[in-house]
Amino acid sequence: MVSKMRESVIMKIHYGTALAAVALVAVHVLMRLTQSFAESLEYANVIANYQFLPYAGMLEIILILLSIHGFNGLRVILLELKQGRAYEKAVSYGCVAAMIGLIAYGSRTIIMVNMGMV
Amino acid sequence: MTKQDENKEGIGGMINPRRYGIERVAYLLMRLSGLGLLAYFIGHIYETSSILKGEVGWGEFLELTQTNEGHAVLAIVIAMCVFHTVNGIRVMLGHGGVGVGKPARPDYPYLPASQNARHKIGIYSAIVLAAIAMMYGLAVMYGE
Repeated sequence: MVSKMRESVIMKIHYGTALAAVALVAVHVLMRLTQSFAESLEYANVIANYQFLPYAGMLEIILILLSIHGFNGLRVILLELKQGRAYEKAVSYGCVAAMIGLIAYGSRTIIMVNMGMV
Repeated sequence: MTKQDENKEGIGGMINPRRYGIERVAYLLMRLSGLGLLAYFIGHIYETSSILKGEVGWGEFLELTQTNEGHAVLAIVIAMCVFHTVNGIRVMLGHGGVGVGKPARPDYPYLPASQNARHKIGIYSAIVLAAIAMMYGLAVMYGE
C-alpha cells in the first residue's frame, strides 16, 4: 500500500499537511500569547485547554498533520541518501510505523486529559 | 563500480553547502530545520504527556524547560519553524511553476531561469524573518 502510492500523490499530501499545519499551529501558538507565557503554561490553564473540546480536537488534528508531514519529510531525506528496493521499503514502513506510534502516544494524552482521567 | 563513478557523495555531499550558491544553503537549512523540528515535535509530545502525572509531574517537567537553556532551545525551534515555513512556501510555489521564469532557448552562459532574484529574495527573507521571530520569541519568553 505504502510503496504503491505514487510519489506525486505523497508530495501533494506533504504540501497539504504543511499548509494546514501552519494555520492550526499559529492558533496553538497564539493561545500561549493570550496570557503571559509562564501563566499560560500553568497546570490549571493547560488542563482547561485540553478539556475545551474544540481545542482538544484541534490539537489532535495538529498531531496527525505534523506526524504525517514530519515522518514523510524524514522518509524523503533518507531516500535521497540511499536507494534500493529493500532499503526503500524498510524506510517507508519504518516511517509509517513511527508515525502511527507517535499519533497513538499523543492521542492517549489528549483523550485522557480531555476525559478528566488525571 | 566505485562510489565516485556512481557520483554518490553520501551524507557528506548532502550537507555540503558550497558550490551551488544560496539555493544549496537553503536546501541544507530546509533539511536541518525539518529534522530539528521533528525531534522537537517528538520531544514536545513526550513533554506534554507529563501532565498525566498530575500537577507535581507537570511542574517538575516544566521547570526543566523554564531555564535559560530551555529558552535558548525554544528560540532556535522558533527560528527553525519560521525558516521551514517561509522557505517551504517558496519551494511549493516553485514546484507549481510560480516565479521560476519562462522557458527559453538555452544560450551561453546558460543561466538557470529558475534560480532567479525572486527566489533568492525568498530565501534571504526566510532567514531574516526567522531571526526576527527568534528575537520576538525570546522577548515573550522573558516577559519583556
